[in-house]
Amino acid sequence: MGTHALTIKRASAMPAPTWHFLKMNDTQIEIPEGLAVAPSVKVSEPWRARGAADEFDNALADAQEEWEKLHPEPTPQEREELEAFTRAEADATYGGTAQSNYQIGADALEEARSLAVAFEHGVGEEAAAYLRFAAGERVVVQTDPGQSVEAQVVVSAVPDALSVAAIDVVAGRNSSVSLSIVVDSPDVPASAGASGFAGTTVRVFADADARVSIVRTQTLDLGFTDIDDMGLFAHDRARIDVRQTVLGAGSTFTGLAGDLRGDSANIVVDTRYLGHADQEHDFNYVLRHHGTRTECNLGANGVLAGKSSKTLRGTIDLIRGAKGAQGSENETVLLVDEGVKNKTVPVILCNEDDVAGNHGATIGHIREEQLLYLQSRGLSKDDAERMFVGAMIEQAAIDAPDEESRAGVLRLGETVIPGFAELFEEEA
Amino acid sequence: MAEKKRTQVEDIDRSMYDFRYDDSDAEKLDAGLTPEIVREISERKGEPEWMLEHRLKSLEIYNSIDMSDWGPSIDGLDMENIVTYVKPNTDQKSDWESVPDNIKDTFDRLGIPEAERSYLAGVGAQYDSELVYHSMQDAAAKMGIVYSGIEEALHGEYADLIREKFMTLIPPTDHKFAALHGAVWSGGSFVYVPKGVKLDYPLQSYFRLNAKGAGQFEHTLIIVEDDADLHFIEGCSAPKYNVANLHAGAVELFVGKRAHLRYSTIENWSKNMYNLNTKRCRCEEEGEIEWISGSFGSHVGYLYPMSILAGRRAKASFTGITFAGRGQNLDTGCKVVLGAPETSASVETKGISKDGGIQTFRSSVVATPNAEGSRCTVSCQSLMLDNRSRSDTIPAMDIRCKNVNIGHEATIGRIGDDKVFYLMSRGISEEEAKTMIVNGFAEPISKELPLEYAVEMNNLIKLEMEGAIG
Repeated sequence: MGTHALTIKRASAMPAPTWHFLKMNDTQIEIPEGLAVAPSVKVSEPWRARGAADEFDNALADAQEEWEKLHPEPTPQEREELEAFTRAEADATYGGTAQSNYQIGADALEEARSLAVAFEHGVGEEAAAYLRFAAGERVVVQTDPGQSVEAQVVVSAVPDALSVAAIDVVAGRNSSVSLSIVVDSPDVPASAGASGFAGTTVRVFADADARVSIVRTQTLDLGFTDIDDMGLFAHDRARIDVRQTVLGAGSTFTGLAGDLRGDSANIVVDTRYLGHADQEHDFNYVLRHHGTRTECNLGANGVLAGKSSKTLRGTIDLIRGAKGAQGSENETVLLVDEGVKNKTVPVILCNEDDVAGNHGATIGHIREEQLLYLQSRGLSKDDAERMFVGAMIEQAAIDAPDEESRAGVLRLGETVIPGFAELFEEEA
Repeated sequence: MAEKKRTQVEDIDRSMYDFRYDDSDAEKLDAGLTPEIVREISERKGEPEWMLEHRLKSLEIYNSIDMSDWGPSIDGLDMENIVTYVKPNTDQKSDWESVPDNIKDTFDRLGIPEAERSYLAGVGAQYDSELVYHSMQDAAAKMGIVYSGIEEALHGEYADLIREKFMTLIPPTDHKFAALHGAVWSGGSFVYVPKGVKLDYPLQSYFRLNAKGAGQFEHTLIIVEDDADLHFIEGCSAPKYNVANLHAGAVELFVGKRAHLRYSTIENWSKNMYNLNTKRCRCEEEGEIEWISGSFGSHVGYLYPMSILAGRRAKASFTGITFAGRGQNLDTGCKVVLGAPETSASVETKGISKDGGIQTFRSSVVATPNAEGSRCTVSCQSLMLDNRSRSDTIPAMDIRCKNVNIGHEATIGRIGDDKVFYLMSRGISEEEAKTMIVNGFAEPISKELPLEYAVEMNNLIKLEMEGAIG
């Protein structure tokens, strides 16, 4: 029995929406009818199911207890004072400040005082739930305090099928986890025109002083759709690094949400993407600072060629109490061909004054002086433009964390630039 | 750790604006919004038939459109309680002495006649739903410039031109309050600057909403023909009431080839005002629009002046400051469309929030496939003066052209201890240092304002410092 047709509306929604005419607030994911659910996930031994299935939920529950001790609920007297203040404020300010829906929602989320409720998935709960359902058994990578492990999950997509992995990473105190996720369609001949779905949904719990590094490399054929979902939780002084390389698939949905709950927690996201042919890429990032002196750094670098299009929603939320927090977001997009479409909306939400938030975006063609230099070296304008496409793939191959990832990049490079693999091996 | 003492910035002093006069002698239509009310407004104004049809169609659109779900709440605004038309007990005059005493006194206290005498080429003054005063210097009239009430112009030699342009940049379908404006608009100015005419002194329109629970819906239409130049200033204020007032004006600006228009606004509505205003400009080849915008008042504000750069090498700049204090949620910013080759735009905004106020910078930059060789820079800085307030930045870019250069940068933060410390190390007191920093933050905007307005802005932001950091 295959999948039922399903439309997931308002997937990857940004917390603070803007004008609807821009069509940027969220996206829609169409799951076609009749896809087989394929068992095409390979996990490097010996880490498969090392942790129990409820490891993540237990870790979050423990963190909740700890957090409540440090952040006790207001006493009845304090609550009464607060309510009296709110009433007086409403009387004095014409019914109170007319908050928008998302501002009301943000306050309600904080008032819930629940780490589990606050935990988010980048593509949204509905899409993540579907991925969990499609994945079946969960891969749990768990470390004890002080331990260091490396793990790899390979999703090999096959035509007319849904190939999904659900992964939990639960990194104990002062431990370290390196996880490589490879999403590829290695057995599909380039000319086959096959289609299918692949995806991963990843939850990360990084306990105090833990280090988690995730490198996800996606090199699917153009007939495929990829959904990359991540939800991150960072405890005190934990650091989570995520590198996402998005080269393949006709449609991609990349969503990452992170809760920097612990003091001095740090999340770094490095996204690299290539748009070519008719590819459509959709990215959504939401990083919420709760802890003091937390830091996040969101970097996205991409090249858009052919008739490709891309939307990137990036939200840094500096929440009241996150004193000394710093959030930074930077995007560079190189537009190579006529017909490309780029949408970017880098958002900073802030209701704490003792913070620093900044974002920057640069979108455009090759700089005039770069182009002149390359032309002076004998390259035509077209050659120079193609060079940037090749460079994006080449960099992905150089930075690939393992053989499987590199093989996927070279295979995809060959479909974009004939002879790429040979040239790369020669240069290497 | 000892609690840090915070920079205390006083709320804007609105006492000079917060006075009112009895409006019992004004003619008011019933509160609410019905086809009968719309017909009555049209009939009272003796409008052409096409305008009545436009109003009724707009009302239909208003009733069919939902309110946006992304911005500040307007739950406190009940259209059933809003009086859409209030006619003061006077007709439009061209000398202040003929204006009834209470209205003249209002504008005297706001400094309008004095400004007219000292540096303006013409003034229009609207009181509630109607213009009560309109005048332009003879020299400007001799240059062929037309500056009059738009309703008056609807019956004159520019009637066809107005019909051709009216609500084409801001169609009633644009959003709910554009439709409302189309249905009940009243008052506002019409400006026509002929080809090649450059006016050295600004024209100014001032809008005063005196009536409790009323709406003001003035329409401003400005046409600056090829090679012409104009500076237009708009000001607005209202006394504070304990019920909602509504402002849903519309500003449509047409800038011809190589023409230049500077449009300056200081918005200082009272804190019971819902300011849902719409402003839009279309620039032809090498035409230039400069927006200078200060938003200080209102309970809720939605304001995003839009520049449509339709001609090759057309230019736009937007310089704005928003100050959101207690009880205010001001959602402001701008929209830019790079719609032709080699167009350029620059946006520089500053936002200050304090004492529980919310200020949001929202923008969109759209580069169409025609925008070959265009560029745009957006720079947005927000200053939080306490942790009860909120400051959000939501800029969007939609780029559909390869050879463009689009840059965006934004920062949010508070007054840096290091900056205060540096100034103190140079012998400046802490209070003075903080004042200097906040003034310096607003300075790029105030320097763009006419001197009298810059002084007004400095008066608006009265700073009072106390205590020490850390």
